[in-house]
Amino acid sequence: MNNDTKKPNILWRSFRSVRLTIVLLILIAIASVLGTFIPQREEALEFAHRLDPDTLRLFHALGLFDMYHSAWFRILVGLLALNLVICSIDRFPGAWRRFSARPRPDRSKVFHDIPEDQRLEVITSSESVLETVRTIIASKYKRVTKKTSPPATFFYAEKGRFSHFGVYIVHLSVLIIIVGALIGSFYGFEAYVNILEGEKVGSAMIRGRMLPVALGFSVRCDDFSVSFYDNGTPKEYRSDLTFFENGKKVKSAVVRVNHPAKFRGIIFYQSSYGTIPGDSAMIRLVRRASKPEVRSVNAGSNKEIPLPHGEGTFVVLEIKDNFMNMGPAVLIKVKPKQGDQIRFWVFQHHERISRQFPGIFDRFPKLNPSAFKPYTFLLEGIESKYYTGLQVSKDPGVPVVWAGFFLIVAGLFITFFTSHRRLWIKVLQQDGKSEISVAGMANKNPVGLEREIHELLGELKASLGERKNA
Amino acid sequence: MLNSTILSYITFVYFGAFFFYLCMMIMGKSAFGKVATLFCLIGFVGQALAIGLRWYESYKLGIGHAPFSNMYESLIFFSWTIILLYLIIEWRTKNKTLGVFVSPLAFLALAYASFSPSINSRIQPLVPALKSNWLISHVITCFFGYAAFGISFGLSLMYLIKRMGGDRPQNAFLKLLPTAGILDDLNYQVVVIGFLMLTLGIITGSVWAHSAWGSYWSWDPKETWSLITWLVYALVLHSRMVRGWRGKRMAFLCIVGFCCVLFTYFGVNYLAGLHSYAKS
Ligand code: HEM
Repeated sequence: MNNDTKKPNILWRSFRSVRLTIVLLILIAIASVLGTFIPQREEALEFAHRLDPDTLRLFHALGLFDMYHSAWFRILVGLLALNLVICSIDRFPGAWRRFSARPRPDRSKVFHDIPEDQRLEVITSSESVLETVRTIIASKYKRVTKKTSPPATFFYAEKGRFSHFGVYIVHLSVLIIIVGALIGSFYGFEAYVNILEGEKVGSAMIRGRMLPVALGFSVRCDDFSVSFYDNGTPKEYRSDLTFFENGKKVKSAVVRVNHPAKFRGIIFYQSSYGTIPGDSAMIRLVRRASKPEVRSVNAGSNKEIPLPHGEGTFVVLEIKDNFMNMGPAVLIKVKPKQGDQIRFWVFQHHERISRQFPGIFDRFPKLNPSAFKPYTFLLEGIESKYYTGLQVSKDPGVPVVWAGFFLIVAGLFITFFTSHRRLWIKVLQQDGKSEISVAGMANKNPVGLEREIHELLGELKASLGERKNA
Repeated sequence: MLNSTILSYITFVYFGAFFFYLCMMIMGKSAFGKVATLFCLIGFVGQALAIGLRWYESYKLGIGHAPFSNMYESLIFFSWTIILLYLIIEWRTKNKTLGVFVSPLAFLALAYASFSPSINSRIQPLVPALKSNWLISHVITCFFGYAAFGISFGLSLMYLIKRMGGDRPQNAFLKLLPTAGILDDLNYQVVVIGFLMLTLGIITGSVWAHSAWGSYWSWDPKETWSLITWLVYALVLHSRMVRGWRGKRMAFLCIVGFCCVLFTYFGVNYLAGLHSYAKS
C-alpha cells in the first residue's frame, strides 16, 4: 500500500484491490444462483408463458433467459479478469524481488528475538564445527552461502523460492481458462443431428438457434444399436459411422457414450436415439381354401406383389406406426385380375382390437382384413428404423482450457504446499567455544519451518555435542 | 445385501461416537473421548470393509463397478471420507473436541442413506454415461472436497461458539475448545484441502462431460452450483487478504460455503424438474 503515491490513478487502484475481487466473486456467485432458478434457454419458453407481459419484457431485456451468455454476465467475468491482470501486474515485481533477492547471510536483526531453544552452545571452536554445520544444512537446503566476519561466521540457506509464483500461476490459469472459453464461443459450435440408419448428412443444426451448419464433409450412419441389462436399463448405445469427403469414403468410426469420434476437428458424441417406421412391413397371407396357406411377404412400399395363386397383386400403400390410436397398421391395395381394386387397413393388434370393439371389422369394409376373399391379411410387424442422435461439436478452445486446468492444479499445489524458507545460522566462535543461533523465515506454513529448525538443531546437537547448562 | 446391512449398523456406531464425544465435552472427562475415538475407528474400518464388500458383490452380480454410482453409494462414501479426514486431524492435533461437531455429519449421512425410503440401496448396473474412468476420480476428488468443507463447517461453528463464550469461559464445553486462533488456522488449512479437491473435482467432471456429452461446461444446475461453491471458497481464501476479514467473517463464509455444498449435493435434484438435461 505504500506506493499509493507513485500510482495515483484511481482506476488502477480500484482494480488492484482484493476488495473488488470479493465484490465481483459475490456478484458472479449470486448471478449464477439466479440462473439455476430461472429456466434458461430451451427450458425458458414454458416459463416465459406464465409471466405477465411487463415482467416478461423486463426479463428479456436483462437477458435473464440466457444469463450465462448475456452481456452483463460477460462484463462481470471481464471485470474479474481485468482485476486479476492488474492485481498481478501490480504485485508481480514484489514477488520477483523476493524470488531473486541476493542472499544476505549476515543479517543480525533476524536473531534478535529468536526463542532460547534455537541457540546451542558447543565446547570447541575448531574449524570442524563450521564444516559440520555446513554439511548438515546442505543436506536439507540446496542453496547455502557463507560469510565470515570474525569472530562470527554466517550461513544463509534457502529453498522453495518458486513458491512466490504459485499464486501467479493460479491466477494466470484462471485467465487462460476464460480465454479458452472465449475461443470456443467465437470459433466453435454446438450442434446436433439425427441420422437414419443408412442415411448420409452433410450438416447439423446449431443448438438453440436452429441454424444449419455445414460440416465440410458428410457422415453416414451405417448402423445403430442399443443393448439392455436384464432389468431393462440401457447398457450401451452404439453408432457405426462412415465419413466421406468429396464422395470418397475416408474413415469409419464407432461412437458410444463416453467414446466420441473425431473427424476434421469436429467431434461426434452419442446423445440420443429413436425410431421411425421404416418402409417395409411383414405381411402374412392366410388363404381360406381346403388347406389354409400361410405366407410371409416382405412388402416394400409401392411394390406390386403377386398373390400366391395368381388372383392378382397387392401393394402396401402406407405404413403407420400408430393408426387411429390402435397401433401399427398398413394400408393395402389389392388389384384383382378382374374387377375393382379394393383398399383396406390391416392392423397388427387385430385380435385385441376386435375384442375391444366387437364387430368393428365387419362393419367397416375399409378396416376388414378379409375384404378380399379368400384371403385374410395379417400384419406381423412394421420394420422400424433406428436413427442415431448425435451431438456435433467443434471447440478449438478445448486444448487451451485443458492447459488452464493443468496449470491451475500445478499452481495450487505450489501455492498451498511449498513455501519459501530462509535460514540464517550464526556461529560465534570465541573463548574456546562456539555459540550457534538459528533463525528462520517462511512466507507460509510457519509451523512447518519451526519443525524443520528443531530437527536441524537436533542433528547439530547429536553430531557436535551440547554443553549443558550454558 | 450384506454390505448395506453392515452399513446400517455402522450408523449406530457413529451415533455412539457422537454420544461419547458429547459426554466428554459436557463432563470434561477425557476417558469418554477415548471411547468415542474407538467408536470412530471401528466405524471407519467396518465401513471400509463394507464398501469393499459392496464392490466385490457387484462383480458377483455380473455388473461390477466401483461403488460410487448413485445417491446411496455417494452418501456412504461421503460419511467415510468425513471420518477419515477427521481421524487424521484428531491424530495430528491431538484434540478431540472437533469430534462432537463432525461425527453427527457422518452419522446423518449414513442414516439418510440407510433409512430414507427415497434412497435405493440396491446395486444397480451402470448406465452408459457413467461408464468412464473419469467417474472414479471425479467422485473421489469431489467427496474429499465435500468432506473437508464439512469439517470446516464444524470448525467454523466451534470458532463462533468459542468467540461467543468470551475470553474467560466458565463451562467445561467452552473451556475444552481450542483457542479461536488455532481454530481459525486449522479451518484455513482444511479449506485449502477442500478447495484443491473441489478444483480437481470440477476439472475431472468437466473432462468427463466433454467425453460423454460433448461439452466441458454446459451450465447445468449441478455444474453451476459446484462453481458457486468454488467461488465462495475462493472468497474465503481471499478474504484473509483483506484486513479484518479473518475470524468471524471467515467462519460465517465457511458456513455459507457448506450450505452451497449441501445444495450442490441434494438441492439440485429439486431443480432438476426445470432442467431436462440434469444428469446427476
Ligand atoms: C476466480 C478467480 C480467482 C481464483 C481461483 C484465485 C485463487 C487464489 C488462490 C488459490 C490464492 C492463494 C490463497 C492462499 O494462499 O491462501 C490467491 C491469492 C491471492 N489472490 Fe486470487 N484468485 C482469483 C482471483 C483473484 C483476483 C481477481 C485478484 C485481484 C485482486 C486476486 C488477488 C489475490 C491476491 C492478492 C492473493 C494473495 C497473494 C499472496 O499471497 O501474495 N485473486 N488467489
